[in-house]
Amino acid sequence: MKFKKYLIPLLVLAFLVLLLFQSCYSVRLVSTVGTPEPAVPHVRDDYYRPYEVTELDTVITIGVADKDFSYLIKSTDLCPSGKLHTVEYRNTFGALLLSAVTFGRKRKVKIKYVCMKD
Amino acid sequence: MAKTTKLTLTEWDTLHNNGPFPLKLLYKTKLESPALMPSDLDRYNDAAQEIQSLITEAKNKNEGFRAYGSAWSMSKIAHQKERMHFNAHMNTYFSFRNQDLHALSGYQAENLFLFQCGNVVKEISEKLAGHGKSLKASGASNGQTIAGCISTGVHGSAINVGSVQDYVVGLNLIIGPNPGDIVYLERHSKPALNDVFVQKLRSRVIRNDGLFNAALVGLGSFGFIHGVVIEAQNLFLLKRYVKELKKDKAIELAQQQNFKTFDGIPEEVKGNGEANIPYHFKVFVNQYKDNGKYVVEFMYKKPYKLNYPDPFPVIKKSLYRDLINLVVQIGSGIPASIPVFINLLKNSILPTVDEVSTGTLAETFWDAPYQGPAFAISFGVSHTDAEKALKILSKVSIDEGPVPGIFAMRFIKKSDATLSFARFPTTCMIEIDGVRWNEKKNLITLNDLSKKMIEALQQANIPFTLHWGKNADWKFSGLVDHMYGADATTWRKYRCSLLSGDMQTLFSNAFLKEVKLDKKEPSDPQLIQSLL
Repeated sequence: MKFKKYLIPLLVLAFLVLLLFQSCYSVRLVSTVGTPEPAVPHVRDDYYRPYEVTELDTVITIGVADKDFSYLIKSTDLCPSGKLHTVEYRNTFGALLLSAVTFGRKRKVKIKYVCMKD
Repeated sequence: MAKTTKLTLTEWDTLHNNGPFPLKLLYKTKLESPALMPSDLDRYNDAAQEIQSLITEAKNKNEGFRAYGSAWSMSKIAHQKERMHFNAHMNTYFSFRNQDLHALSGYQAENLFLFQCGNVVKEISEKLAGHGKSLKASGASNGQTIAGCISTGVHGSAINVGSVQDYVVGLNLIIGPNPGDIVYLERHSKPALNDVFVQKLRSRVIRNDGLFNAALVGLGSFGFIHGVVIEAQNLFLLKRYVKELKKDKAIELAQQQNFKTFDGIPEEVKGNGEANIPYHFKVFVNQYKDNGKYVVEFMYKKPYKLNYPDPFPVIKKSLYRDLINLVVQIGSGIPASIPVFINLLKNSILPTVDEVSTGTLAETFWDAPYQGPAFAISFGVSHTDAEKALKILSKVSIDEGPVPGIFAMRFIKKSDATLSFARFPTTCMIEIDGVRWNEKKNLITLNDLSKKMIEALQQANIPFTLHWGKNADWKFSGLVDHMYGADATTWRKYRCSLLSGDMQTLFSNAFLKEVKLDKKEPSDPQLIQSLL
C-alpha cells in the first residue's frame, strides 16, 4: 500500500530526472573567414543544410593519469581540407553527470563540425 | 585525373526548398589532387576533359545535362530532370601577367583573374584579397558560384557598377564533346587575353560582342561554363548607414537618384554642400504597416585601410526556426495574422536604424544562414517607374494576400548582357521575399501571386523584367517576349548558332522550354565569327 502511495510521485520524479539528463544547450563557433565545404545534394533541413557536416556522438574514455584529450580532425570525404570552419558542441546534464561519477574518465562528446572548402 | 562521383537519385531540391524536382543522376567532379598534378593549368584542362566525357555519356543516352553550383536559385532554372552536375569543387583560379594580355587590351593584368566555375563568391573574395583586390559587386550574400551568378544575373544594389556579369570579360565554355568544342569568348571591342594564353586552355577564341553578350546571362543553356575571366579592382571599404526616412524622401531618392542633394547623412556631405553618391542604396518596405517612413540602407565607398572597426558582432543570433514555422502555420490558417506577425518580428527582419558599420565588400555582404523554405519574386523596372510599380505590387500583395514577406527596392546599372533583367538605364529591382507558406490552406499560391503581379504591371503599362533565379509564373503567356522583345530572338539566334542541334537539346531544361527560349532558330555562321 505504501509503495502504491509513492508510485506516482516516483514516476513523476523519474520522468523529471530523465528530462534533466536530456536538458542541454548548444554552442556554435563559426569562423568569419574561409568557405565552408558545400553539401551535395541538400538533404538536411536545419542550419547545416548548405554544408557538409560531420556529426560525432560518442564517449571518450581516458586513463586515470590522463589530464585531457584532443580529438583529431582528419581529412575525409566529408572534410577534404581537414580544416575547421564551424564547430557546434552540445552540453547535457547527463554528460556532465557521467563525467562526474567516473571522476572525469568518461567524457561524452557530442559535436557537429563543418570543414573549410578544399 | 579529375574524379567524378555519380549518385543515382530520384529527386533534387534547391537550397531554399523550392522543389523537390525529379532527377535521375547527379554528378560531382573533384579536381585531381595537386600532389599528383601540381600545375593548376593541367588540373583545369584535365577537368575540361572530364566534363566532355560526361557530356558524351549524356549525349549517348539522349539525355540532358546541366551544371549547377550552390542551388541558390528559387526558380527551377538550375534543374534538369535527367543529369545534373554539381561543380562547386571545380575551384581553381589563375592570375595574369602582361604577356598574357591581348595587344589591344585596355585591362591591367593585375586586375584580371580566371576563376573556374565552382568558385563561390566568398572564396573568390578571399583569393582576390590575397592580391589586394576585390570583386566590384556581389549579391546580398556570398554563397553563389561565379558561374551560377552570371547565368542568372545575380546583383546587389551597386548603383553605378551593375551586376556580377558586368565585370566579366571572358568566358570559357564547353559546348560539346569534341576537341574543338571548348571555346573562349570575349568582346571584340574589349579583348582581354591573347591567343597564346587561350591556346593553353585548349580553346578556340571567338571575339564577338554580340555572342559574348548573349552568352553572358546564358541561363545555364549556352554550354558548360568552365571558367570566367573577371576584372577585379583594388580592395575598398564600404561605410554602411541605416536610416529611417520619410516615405516621400525615400521614394524621391529612388525615382530621381538625386543623391548629390541628399543631406540626411552629414558625414557624407562635402565642403561645397554636395553629397557623395552612394555605392549602394536599398529601401525596405513593410507593405503591411504605413507609419510614413521607410528603413533605408546607404553604403559609401572608401579607400581601403587597415585597422577599421570590426564589422562583425561577436554573437550572431537567428530567429527560432520553430517560431517561424509556427507563425507560417498560423498565418496559413488565419491570413489576417500575417501582418501582425511581420510587425512583431520587424526588428529581426529589418536592419537596425542608425546602425553604422565599415567593412570590405566581402565582409559587408557576408554569410546568409539557411533559415528554412523561402520564396522571392523580383521585378526589374526603370527607376523612374519605381514608385508606381511599388504601389501596384504592394497592393496586389495586400489585396491577394497577405503573404509572409516584405518588399525591398535595390538599384542596378544597365547591363550589356542580352538577357539581363537590368535592362533599364537604372533598374530598380522590387523584390518581395519571405518564408514559404502552406499553399493548401487559405492563402493564395505563390504562382498565382506572381501571375497577379505580372498582370497588374502589364495593365499599368509598366515595362518590367523578372529575376531569372527567383520565383515567378514563368509559364505566363508571352512573358519573355513581353520583357525582352527582339532581344529574346537575338539570344536564341546566337545560342542556336554556337551550339549544334543535339547540344541545344542537351543543354536545355524545362525552365528554358517554359519561357520559350528553347525554340530553334536558323544557325548563322556570321554570328559566331571572331571579329578580331
